[in-house]
Amino acid sequence: MRPDDDLDSGDREFLERIAAPLREPVALSDRVERKVLARLRTGAGPVPRAPYRPLIAAAAAAGIAAVFAIGVLVGRRTAGPAVAERGPRTIEFVLRTTADSAVTLVGDFNDWDPHATPLHPGAGGVWTATVPLHPGRYRYTFIVDGSWRRDPAAPRALEDDFGTPTSVITVAQR
Amino acid sequence: MAAAPSLLQVSPSDPELVQRVRQGDLDAYALLMTRYRLRFGRYAYHLLGNESDAEEALQDAFTLAYRSLERCRHPERFAAWLFRILVNRCRTLATRRGRHEARRAPLEAADTVGVAHPAERGMHREEIHRGLARLAPEQREAFLLKYVEELSYEEMAELTGAGESALKMRVKRACERLRDLLSESYAT
Repeated sequence: MRPDDDLDSGDREFLERIAAPLREPVALSDRVERKVLARLRTGAGPVPRAPYRPLIAAAAAAGIAAVFAIGVLVGRRTAGPAVAERGPRTIEFVLRTTADSAVTLVGDFNDWDPHATPLHPGAGGVWTATVPLHPGRYRYTFIVDGSWRRDPAAPRALEDDFGTPTSVITVAQR
Repeated sequence: MAAAPSLLQVSPSDPELVQRVRQGDLDAYALLMTRYRLRFGRYAYHLLGNESDAEEALQDAFTLAYRSLERCRHPERFAAWLFRILVNRCRTLATRRGRHEARRAPLEAADTVGVAHPAERGMHREEIHRGLARLAPEQREAFLLKYVEELSYEEMAELTGAGESALKMRVKRACERLRDLLSESYAT
């Protein structure tokens, strides 16, 4: 491993010694695949999420950033009510920032892909992106000129335990 | 002269399998899952500390990845794309379980496929797991990504959202803490 850290050689040797046995493969059971295939074949939900709660429509009037949840159903068809109620809702994420180059949005809804959801600049330093989201709980954060920035207008995600700034939004079932 | 048919069966590449999955071939996805269960199970197991949680994290990651496969714009980088999903699922599970409770059975059940017993390397994996269990979550994550998964700090920063200097500090703190916890085993 290339020494690209600030550790001295003694620390690196120590960590290597600890890491060596941990690099051995861990053979988890193939029931992982079997359960996933069963889940996919039955169309069961992808991930256990928190129970649906009332929509958190946090909007910061005086803050730096805001998330607006726009209660607009998209993709409404003539299907029965149950289907319509479970359809995605259009959520607009809004960030006011003085970013020079780029603002993107990463979260549970786009696999944390920093290239998937760019925000578009508007007047007054307001950047926006619109994302269709099914009811559920999602963690997300903004990436402003390469740095992660939590949405100050939304609840902080518990996963902040890992030292990175993430927010959480709960999209309600209609 | 016609080439003799090869007796070796070449495993399909990730992009080939992704293409087949997109055409509705679930068996191709099973192949991908097997490939990455073996490769990424290690990370989930060491971060979460037990087989049950590691399996749950993998199941969630595989299911999410399948359902969003259309967004995988670079199938040749499927592994990195899937790993990012897994890292985030592990964070969520670790937080849900609680940082102490999550590592209730350090060497529970999972088999290793390595050739050398950890003891031969001078330090038992059980002891190491006990040490890992007592690290702060972000330190454990940084140590595993850097020294077990062998990512660069640049790659870690992109994956976790933390700055490179913060990640270096986490690794350094992990080192100091592990040295304290494992000092008896690491008698130099």
